[in-house]
Amino acid sequence: MDFLLHGFFQAFHLLWTGDPETYSAIWTTVLVSTMSMAASLLIGIPLGFSLGINDFKGKKILRTLVDTLLSFPTVVIGLLVYAFLSRQGPLGDFGILFTLPGVAVGQTILGLPIIIALTATAVETLDKRLKPTLTTLGATPRQMLFTTILEARHSLMLAAMAAYGRIVSEVGISMMVGGNIKWHTRTITTAIALETGKGEFSVGIALGIVLMVVALGVNMCVSGLRKRAR
Amino acid sequence: MNTSLCEVRNVHHTYGSRTVLDIDSFYIKPGSITGITGPNGCGKSTLLRMLAFLEKPDRGVVLFNGAEHDIRPNPVHREVCLLGQEPYLLKRSVRANVGYGLNVRNTDDIEPRIREALHMVGLDADDFLRRMWHELSGGETQRVALAARLVLRPKLLLLDEPTANLDEKSSTTIRTAVEQIRKTDGTSLVIVSHDLRWLRSICSPLIIMERGEMVETA
Repeated sequence: MDFLLHGFFQAFHLLWTGDPETYSAIWTTVLVSTMSMAASLLIGIPLGFSLGINDFKGKKILRTLVDTLLSFPTVVIGLLVYAFLSRQGPLGDFGILFTLPGVAVGQTILGLPIIIALTATAVETLDKRLKPTLTTLGATPRQMLFTTILEARHSLMLAAMAAYGRIVSEVGISMMVGGNIKWHTRTITTAIALETGKGEFSVGIALGIVLMVVALGVNMCVSGLRKRAR
Repeated sequence: MNTSLCEVRNVHHTYGSRTVLDIDSFYIKPGSITGITGPNGCGKSTLLRMLAFLEKPDRGVVLFNGAEHDIRPNPVHREVCLLGQEPYLLKRSVRANVGYGLNVRNTDDIEPRIREALHMVGLDADDFLRRMWHELSGGETQRVALAARLVLRPKLLLLDEPTANLDEKSSTTIRTAVEQIRKTDGTSLVIVSHDLRWLRSICSPLIIMERGEMVETA
């Protein structure tokens, strides 16, 4: 147990003294998760909204597919994105394998089903009186869309938090697509995996603490929003 | 010459195998207050939704200003306004709720109109403007929703059980508000209620419905 205790003390030392390697991994994680969250929200909210509000043939099949993708293993996403972005892959010409945009593509694919599914659910569970109320108050279709998004705002933020939690804690995509390159694509999770493998528990624990603080913050926000959404 | 504001012709509507509306002819004159009463499930609310162009009949037509209109959001919804039986308030403040219809119309001088509408339904603007939707009682919700319609000064205002959650005093306030909007803005009204005494005090004509049909006009 001594090595664990030693790891904790070392962890606080690294964080307190501003160890560049540790903070590089933290910064990389913040940067890449921000990119993938922005893309997931921009693509996912309109798709989820359309899925929730419209009735069309094959909707149930599409919902089942999206719900299935919620539990898509990150290593499988990593493998597929790697295959597409590698030099012999169809998107190899973009040259983004082993770069942060490449990781962001993979993490966007990871976050999208969560945003789409939870946005669709949020829209489906809105009060049925909302649409006729907005119509009778004279809102145009565009005004109705914005008002509906605002009415579902707490649930949409909940969806964003859930997606962020999954994105920030994944390791498979970052490892396979990013390559875990020091100072470039090394994220908190890939750094933990590497340092633990090397027996460097202190760095791993330091990064683990940061990740847990982030997870705690996200969870607290989710709980708060859940209460407000009721 | 046809002088009706709104007209229902040969309307027949069913939910499954149950006929909910079967009306040959029904007119709403400009500036009138039409009352409709009848037992539960006789088609009163369905008729109001059709007059508000929120639902289309299976057969027949509903005309407003002599023309048919779509049930998708369109300009007629800025002239005809419905207050449902259990009104929905946006998850915002009373000010935002009452001002919503004015905002979507890009109207100027919103604040004094919101205050005036709240005053008409017997709510003190200084006390209520900042309140959130969840801080209102059932009766207050009803009155805020009515204020959100009155503020729009529509050509046709349809009220479904507007006094259902209100006490005697508030019912009198609503009656005064209804008379005022008709007098000052020339708004025509159709009011559905079970409160026959209240309807008699304000409406002419008064229509009794049964099993989707208009059986008597007083």
